[in-house]
Amino acid sequence: MIAFCVRRLLWMIGTLWVVFTVSFFLIRSVPGGPFDGERELPKEVERAIRAKYHLDDPLPVQYWDQLTSMATGDLGYSLKKDIAISKIVAEGFPVSAALGLLALTFAMVLGLTTGVISALFRGTAGDVALRLAATIGIALPNFVIAGVAIILFVFWLPLLPAAGWGSPRQIILPAFCLGAPYAAYVARISRTSMLDVLSQDHIRTAKAKGVGPMRVALVHALRGAMLPVVSFLGPAVAGILTGSLVVEQLFAVPGMGAHFVNAALERDHTLSMGVVMLYTTLLYTMNFLVDMSYAVLDPRVKLE
Amino acid sequence: MFSRRELLLAVFALAGLAAALAWALGRGTLPPADFTFANGTEVKSLDPALVTGQPEGQFIYAMFEGLVRWHPETLEPLPSGAERWEISDDAVTYTFFLRPEARWSDGTPVTAADYAYSLRRFLDPRTAAEYGFLAWTLKNGRRYSGGGSAVRPGDTVEVELNLPTDAINTLRGEIERGTLVALLDNDGKELSAEQLEELAAAEDADPTAWTFVVEIDGQRQSYRYADDDAAATDAPPEGVAWCRQVLLDFREVGVKVVDQHTLQLTLENPTSYMLTLLGFYPLFPMQQACVEKYGSPQWTYVENVVCNGPFVPQFRRFRDRTRLVRSDTYWDRENVALETVDVLAIEKVNTGLNLFLTGDVDWIREAPAQAMRVMLNEDPPRDDINPAPMLNTYYYLLNVERPPLDDVRVRRALALALDRDELCGRILPSGEQPAYSLVPPGLQGYDPPTFVPADMTGADQLDARLQEARRLLAEAGYPEGRGFPRLEIMYNTHEGHQLIAEVIRKQWERNLGIVIKTRNEEWGSYLTSQRQSRFDICRKGWIGDYADPNTFLDMFVTGGEQNNTNWGRSRYDQLIRDAAAETDPTARLAMFHEAEEQLMEELPIIPIYFYVSKNLLKPHVRGFYNNIQDYHPLWSISIDREGATPNDFLKGRP
Repeated sequence: MIAFCVRRLLWMIGTLWVVFTVSFFLIRSVPGGPFDGERELPKEVERAIRAKYHLDDPLPVQYWDQLTSMATGDLGYSLKKDIAISKIVAEGFPVSAALGLLALTFAMVLGLTTGVISALFRGTAGDVALRLAATIGIALPNFVIAGVAIILFVFWLPLLPAAGWGSPRQIILPAFCLGAPYAAYVARISRTSMLDVLSQDHIRTAKAKGVGPMRVALVHALRGAMLPVVSFLGPAVAGILTGSLVVEQLFAVPGMGAHFVNAALERDHTLSMGVVMLYTTLLYTMNFLVDMSYAVLDPRVKLE
Repeated sequence: MFSRRELLLAVFALAGLAAALAWALGRGTLPPADFTFANGTEVKSLDPALVTGQPEGQFIYAMFEGLVRWHPETLEPLPSGAERWEISDDAVTYTFFLRPEARWSDGTPVTAADYAYSLRRFLDPRTAAEYGFLAWTLKNGRRYSGGGSAVRPGDTVEVELNLPTDAINTLRGEIERGTLVALLDNDGKELSAEQLEELAAAEDADPTAWTFVVEIDGQRQSYRYADDDAAATDAPPEGVAWCRQVLLDFREVGVKVVDQHTLQLTLENPTSYMLTLLGFYPLFPMQQACVEKYGSPQWTYVENVVCNGPFVPQFRRFRDRTRLVRSDTYWDRENVALETVDVLAIEKVNTGLNLFLTGDVDWIREAPAQAMRVMLNEDPPRDDINPAPMLNTYYYLLNVERPPLDDVRVRRALALALDRDELCGRILPSGEQPAYSLVPPGLQGYDPPTFVPADMTGADQLDARLQEARRLLAEAGYPEGRGFPRLEIMYNTHEGHQLIAEVIRKQWERNLGIVIKTRNEEWGSYLTSQRQSRFDICRKGWIGDYADPNTFLDMFVTGGEQNNTNWGRSRYDQLIRDAAAETDPTARLAMFHEAEEQLMEELPIIPIYFYVSKNLLKPHVRGFYNNIQDYHPLWSISIDREGATPNDFLKGRP
């Protein structure tokens, strides 16, 4: 167990280094720089700016400088905003994470319930309706869901505020829009795996022993059916916690999601790097936790 | 039913969720501010010297104050930081008498030294101010900004010595003043005056590789550039000392502190728009003590910043909102009506519109194009919308080195064969105006020359224009577009630009029989392609920095940074130079007129339309006016929910 953890940690460091290196050179290989604008700067000014941010250093020097400062946990300053990247993360990540957790809870509760119901009542009209809803949920991009939700709950029925962050009412719509596609995925995955498990021998044995149908479904079947859902959840959690560009922009939520796209578009090298490294770390950690949870959920899995 | 371990896990998960929710909601809601507005994307910085955008400007105008401030409607420069001023007869020396009661937010007086400090910092190449060129209007400003590459033997120079690596980054090193004796290149050979000029002309000078020999109090001393890290660890070569940089002596620059409340500015040329320029936020002062105590950017943080404007920031939540409150120390605080203002960072125009329609914000700068169209056509007319002309032009750059665009007849044919009225009437939503000149109308005393006679610019004259276009194209060797090479319109990826490019492509195909392609590039690569003139036709928009034709016309001097057309005429350059030195305003504007006539004669650009402002403003907001700079300072705004309608904003609405 401990050896497993240590090995994974070493792998993580290696992965982070590879991701850092690839991103570093990818970011710099695209045309355009962080200080390009509609107005082309006079040469004197441009040179001064490049010197100030050490963009005039040779690439290997920049690489080494950034690698060493990142290794010591110093993410540096954003090139486009006068703010430390650690501060951007400190302000944005909790917002995205809170929103993401809520969305995820919603997705899990709704997804699992409908998935299990669908599986138990396979082939009925209810099953078809739920599957249809899930397919629509997956197919619709969340800006469409958000647009419809805003028209319905902000303008037609003025129940919820249009955007912003801070009050409980402001969280409902973005959490719903963020969670809806995940709920749909969870519903589909849990339905399939539930059906799979229900046809297995130990379920038949349980039924033969006279265990009630509820207990068979929720204890004997659901536990096994959770495995694919959990595997899906690992990467999904990393994605959902780091926020979503679309939902955050539409609802003016000051989270992390927008940075992933904007930093790249604005050529904010340091911020791009910061969010990429954050996401890598998070994704790796989540996958690690998923692997750990297998041991809890499935007695057949041993960590080695 | 569940094992203890599973229950424990479930409890942990629930606790985590509860904690997250408690945190998310713990920020709580605030009492609404007197005035709330959506300010576009989160600002880059609040350092007046370093920012360039409109959202940033909105903050700087609220937090800081310059020598003059613009009238919120007419944009006329009014006394503010300076109580009054005197201009010498040759119009190059401005003496400003500062307002003695003006205070920083920490209670200390605003002095001439603060202004001088800020201007010096603005010009210092180490500050890397993007708008720095605005202060090149000051005598020797440009040379000071040029740092080591702009000094020549014989100049009096200042040498900034290195500081320890842990020094606050806004502190200046110790200054040695002396006369520059010689410049040596990397191999120790002296650089001749001709070599220096050549390097400067090729923009190839690298002062970091040079040795500067300076005579200080009769002693010769050599200096080489080193950053503070290198200076701390590496020993300099024999007989040489490290320095941060070598600059022209700042005492040569036209900024002089006469006494605590008198500041004298000397200009390179009589610059008729100088007063207006001084009301533009990049030239606003900052407090030396604050900047040097905290360093950059920390001095601009809410908990540290000291400012001299009508408002001070109370808190700032990154990418969410900043609350401004009226400053207790502002000299004119009695006339500032708003006590609290919330500035929201809203990236999406759609979101801004939703917040405006639900009444959560009082002002948004822009609504989505489709919504503008719908709202402008509502009947009865809405009382919160009134697009007005602005000092912005949308145009296409033509690469005059690529045939057939090297032929002025082809360029003219392309410019004539556009149906701008169709574009403005059917595609653009807010009443944008067809452009037949580069400089938008509306500048005092300047009637921009159009590239077709003024009586041919009407919508009903389209056929006449098309006929002329076809005739010119035939004359150039492409009758009815036969044999015309396939040209390409390049634009940056954006729905609006794409739509315009498509419409123009179709118009050219229809009207001239030529085939045009369109190509979109993502912002960064678009800018790079534009800079390297890798395009046939390229879209561009320009916002005037100040209300003067110069802000548009000086772009197209030969080799100008914004002139990526490869076009250049010595006569044009001469006119722009002469206009800069001309003291008589009428003669000066006549020169600009002649220059623009030449530009419109040769058409290295195709003017397409003039922008309009797209503000939406709640009817209870007063003291907010439309003007060509889209400048809306918070100090003039007040709220009156009972007062008569319409408000100032709706003035002049058709």
